[in-house]
Amino acid sequence: MTVAVLLLIATLLPLLSFAILAFVGKRMGNPLAGIVGTFFISASFVCSLAAMIVWLSLDVAEGRAFGFGGQPILKTYDWLPGGLQIGIYVDSLTVVMFSMITLVAALVHVFSLGYMADDRRFPRFYTYLGLFSFSMLALVLSGTLLQLFIFWELVGLCSYLLIGFWYEKKTASNAAIKAFVTNRIGDVGFIIGLGLLFCHLGNATFPGIWGSLGNAGMAQSGQVLILPMVQGSAGAAELSGSLQKAEPQFTRFPHVTTTMLTLMGIALFCGAIGKSAQFPLHVWLPDAMEGPTPVSALIHAATMVAAGVYLVGRIFPILTPDAKLFIAIIGCVTMTIAALIAMAQTDIKRVLAYSTLSQLGLMILAMGIGSWVGGLFHLITHAFFKALLFLGAGNVIHAAHHEQELTEFGGLWRKIPYTAITFGVAVFAIAGVGVTVGDTMIGFAGYFSKDLILHHAGAFAWLATKEGGHTAYWLFFWLPTIVAYLTAFYMTRCWMLTFAGRPRNQKLYDRARETPVMYIPLAVLSVLSVIGGTALGARQMIESAAKETNNYFDPRLRPPAVANPTAKVAQPAHFAGFSTAWQNAGAYAHGDTSTIASDAYRLGERSLKYVSFAFVVGIGLGILVYSKGLTIPNALLRVPPLRWLNIWLYRAMYFDEMYAGVVVACTMALATVAAVVDRYVIDALVNLSARVVRRGAVLARLCDQFVLDRAVSATAEMVQEIGAAARAPQTGRIRTYVTALMVAVALSLAGAIIVVLSTTGR
Amino acid sequence: MELTLAISSSPIIGLNHYLVLAAFIFVCGLLSMMLKRNAIGILMGVELILNAANINLVAFNRFSYAYSPDHKPMLDGQVFAIFVIVLAAAEAAVALAIFLNYYNNFNTIDVERAQTLKG
Repeated sequence: MTVAVLLLIATLLPLLSFAILAFVGKRMGNPLAGIVGTFFISASFVCSLAAMIVWLSLDVAEGRAFGFGGQPILKTYDWLPGGLQIGIYVDSLTVVMFSMITLVAALVHVFSLGYMADDRRFPRFYTYLGLFSFSMLALVLSGTLLQLFIFWELVGLCSYLLIGFWYEKKTASNAAIKAFVTNRIGDVGFIIGLGLLFCHLGNATFPGIWGSLGNAGMAQSGQVLILPMVQGSAGAAELSGSLQKAEPQFTRFPHVTTTMLTLMGIALFCGAIGKSAQFPLHVWLPDAMEGPTPVSALIHAATMVAAGVYLVGRIFPILTPDAKLFIAIIGCVTMTIAALIAMAQTDIKRVLAYSTLSQLGLMILAMGIGSWVGGLFHLITHAFFKALLFLGAGNVIHAAHHEQELTEFGGLWRKIPYTAITFGVAVFAIAGVGVTVGDTMIGFAGYFSKDLILHHAGAFAWLATKEGGHTAYWLFFWLPTIVAYLTAFYMTRCWMLTFAGRPRNQKLYDRARETPVMYIPLAVLSVLSVIGGTALGARQMIESAAKETNNYFDPRLRPPAVANPTAKVAQPAHFAGFSTAWQNAGAYAHGDTSTIASDAYRLGERSLKYVSFAFVVGIGLGILVYSKGLTIPNALLRVPPLRWLNIWLYRAMYFDEMYAGVVVACTMALATVAAVVDRYVIDALVNLSARVVRRGAVLARLCDQFVLDRAVSATAEMVQEIGAAARAPQTGRIRTYVTALMVAVALSLAGAIIVVLSTTGR
Repeated sequence: MELTLAISSSPIIGLNHYLVLAAFIFVCGLLSMMLKRNAIGILMGVELILNAANINLVAFNRFSYAYSPDHKPMLDGQVFAIFVIVLAAAEAAVALAIFLNYYNNFNTIDVERAQTLKG
């Protein structure tokens, strides 16, 4: 419980920072607002770190080895009556994510003190950063999918605000709108998936969903699953046990077909396609580099774009093999095209953006082939070195007075040596530099996570083909292998063009300088990029999170055919339960009972030999080609096919143009049709009705003029005449009054006499 | 009995003479009110009318109610006449005060000029 409280505090501190800065940030002014923001996020990081320590020491208290994490914590509250709950869910993954996010965020806050020092909207920048940090942490802490979706949208908003931070620049505001709209397309899918899930399960918590649909990974197409709705499974007491204890209660929709589950998984994954910028919707991320570079480091490299991978990790147990295949294909395509495009980019931030896309694709691919641990482990290590790369690029850009073209740089290592060294460390980390000597692995952070994914990819491909799958399954191994070579090459290219060789722009070179506050975060991140693979224990924690997650699979719900993993299950298109296979496959523990699985494990390990020296080849080639600046590549690009290829890749495979040509043109055509309909049909109707009303108004005016007005003025005239008549006798002359009085008296007397005489008869 | 005898058969001055005198004075007063432009003249006309009424009161008291059924003399008419005289005196005082004010404001007592309250 302490952990949950600490994490909650860590979540709310940035919100407090946001609130303070939103109200009084402007008055605080330039350095103070940043210092306040940095203080709060640092406090948040301290809380997360404390939570991690408490979490890890919980096992010791429970008699387990250090580093496996305590039991997951789920705390829910009724939000609205009728089963709508909100809550927090904490497992090892949450704790690791918290430490990573708050650390990167704190370092980016520090870095921005230098990078944004001259900006006139400096306090607002920190306000947005505070809101973003809060949303991202709350997203990770969410206990239900609906809650996750709320914060998912909130980080999208922050992303929009920060991409368009320099909104005076037309490109920046356009990029912000593009990012927002593209994300909406993905979110439509997310909402559909959420709706399907709601329809069947209500607003279930994550463990509740896993308990009900956890056997999806085993599902064969065409099967019908019985869905037990475990009421009140949210309680922490039941959590520690298993769902078998709870009495299953059936929902209104007692069963669901695997086709439906597949659709649901793909729909939910659409959200991740948008947020993590996967293949069809990847176009927003490179443009998002229009935002300030610290934002690119925090949001568009390390944390927010990784939320898609995190989402897939959370819904992983309910994904059917078909859905996972879809995910793997999308990840594979993204990874490959992004790596290719990154080779030809000349803007330093765009190179990094496409490299981010490629790495995100790799994580998604890992998820798709069932390497849960690999994908999320890579998420953590990637956050470190990609944040380092972006902050380093920020330093270069700051030093070069906002010049971003690689062709203008060169030889900068003499002017900004610390940046050059830390950037180099990050390049080594992303290239996966490392060796395995016997059983020990020595290397940079990226080596461990990338190796794990490739290992699983090899095992997966072997297992898939053995179970009767198509040979094309091997692409899931070979493409990431090729991309590993490409990554090492283009990152070396980036470093060589920036820091090595002779200065290509002497003026820029002469003015370049470093700011001390900005390379402290670089130093911290480069240490993490070196040791992040082993020393931090991230992998162990994620593995324990995977085990915790597996605890919620109800064995009774498994289809009998695959209850025994050694049994032959021949499904030609996709072999049975390839994700769940991993929990039995000895991917986490050697010496499993399953022979097929351990064979796969060993074969995957053996296939790693193809990728072990990718970094040597990639970095070597990079140094070779770019050793004399741009002379060798320019010579190479004179060969026509290479030149055409380069142009094609430089224009990002014409995706933007294609979307402009197809999507935008279609939209414009539709809009034109709508405009014509509007002008000639709707406008005509409106005009017609207006004319009718005008005619009616003329009639009404005549009626008014000749009937009503006459009546009114006649009344007035009548009153006036009566008044004049009554006024006439009022002469004001006393003699007239007396005379009138006497005449009246005389007349009434005469009348009275006549009446009396006539009645008396005389 | 004696009343009718007194009215009809008296060779000397009877009720009719009084009534004729009162009517004459009344008409004099009335004409004075209707024709005079001088406010004092009008006031005099009013006094004449009141006196005509007084004559009637006194005369009717003398000839109509000389005796009550128990043959005691009654003085209602006389008393009324005295009241009217008193009231006339008071009224004259008020009227003269009004005239004074009127004179102060308009520098005349011609009633024809008093038309400011005309509707």
